[in-house]
Amino acid sequence: MKATVWGARGSVPAPGPETNRYGGNTSCVHVSLDDGSDLVLDAGTGIRCLGLAMRPETERIHILLTHLHMDHIQGLMFFAPLFRPETDVVIYGPASPEASLLDRIARYISAPLSPVEVRELPCQVSFLDAPDIEWQIGSATVHANSVAHRGPTLGYRITEGDSSLAYIPDHEPALGAPLEALEDEWISGYALAHGASLLIHDCQYTDDEYPAHVGWGHSRVSDTLAFATRVSVRRLALFHHDPMHEDDMLDEFVTEAAARWMALGGAPAALAIARERQSLEFAAPSAVTPP
Amino acid sequence: MAEAQKPLELILARNLLSSISTPAFLVDAEGTLVFFNEAAGALVGRRFEETGALGPREWGEAFGPFDEHGRPIPWDRIPLTIALQQGRPMHSRMHIHSASGDMQEIEVSALPIVGTEGFRGAMAIFWPVGSARKAEAAA
Repeated sequence: MKATVWGARGSVPAPGPETNRYGGNTSCVHVSLDDGSDLVLDAGTGIRCLGLAMRPETERIHILLTHLHMDHIQGLMFFAPLFRPETDVVIYGPASPEASLLDRIARYISAPLSPVEVRELPCQVSFLDAPDIEWQIGSATVHANSVAHRGPTLGYRITEGDSSLAYIPDHEPALGAPLEALEDEWISGYALAHGASLLIHDCQYTDDEYPAHVGWGHSRVSDTLAFATRVSVRRLALFHHDPMHEDDMLDEFVTEAAARWMALGGAPAALAIARERQSLEFAAPSAVTPP
Repeated sequence: MAEAQKPLELILARNLLSSISTPAFLVDAEGTLVFFNEAAGALVGRRFEETGALGPREWGEAFGPFDEHGRPIPWDRIPLTIALQQGRPMHSRMHIHSASGDMQEIEVSALPIVGTEGFRGAMAIFWPVGSARKAEAAA
């Protein structure tokens, strides 16, 4: 399993010279399985460049949406494989009692927001509520679970052989209660992330910024590190960068985060900050001691 | 995968209840009392950290409730049980043993918690009737 970041920004695209190194595109991670299957985690604006880079002969693509906020679906309409009649695209997302996944996404891919309607997409596209039990995609087992964010939101765990990827890009697990006060079973996202080879997790705010954003569904760095430590992940990638965080700021941000990570007992090499076009490393089995 | 964790709806409900000063109970879909907050603990004279989770019959026996004559109210007539078993909100007055050992009249509102994947449990909030009267008098 290989994971490549195509968009690591949160909330809204933030292009410009100030964000060139980490990138301005919103959430999108491509996961390539050993059997050749293609999974795409979220369809933020990063999915546009991914679509252009994918082999035109790709027959089937699985898109796993965590939720339907704009920064996670905005690129969908510009994903080139959706316009290839020979491509089969399966889109998973959170269930809602209000409307089907298709109907909710069609609110975006329809007039007046879009010149194209969902039914006009040339590809073979299907929309499925993510099952509440594990299911198989290619050579991987996929598990979805609701996590603490605003509105119906999922996190995903993808397991292939000895490697497991937990993807929780929008998450505020410490809302209302500090993590250290909670038993494992009461921590949002715990089961998804526990012992994962790689956790890609929300880290939108500094600790100083967070008080003005409590309840918005995102984590401050101290909570991200505490969560990762608590669930004993073997590698952590900080994700969903605030659009106000320019490259120089993110350099300082990750330096400080690394120091705190090590203070918590984490291995220095086990912490990374996501940047566009970056291939994320998975921990080798038993290669790194969980913090 | 780790062992199953609590449904998100219960996690968020617990986070809410732990942050408010209104006494409240939280039960899961099986009727187990999985949390009560500090305000409820002050009302019943026990802290959740001391009791831990209590089974459906255990919490009924531990905290009452009783009718105005001091007779135990059958478990299936407690608002929280009705919210659990019938999936509908319920409000009533009853009595419990207060922290001081006196009978305390309370009002209880219970409501079911239904998530996208179905029934998750129920929560009940309590209000000591005397406190309500004091509040009315002060208004």
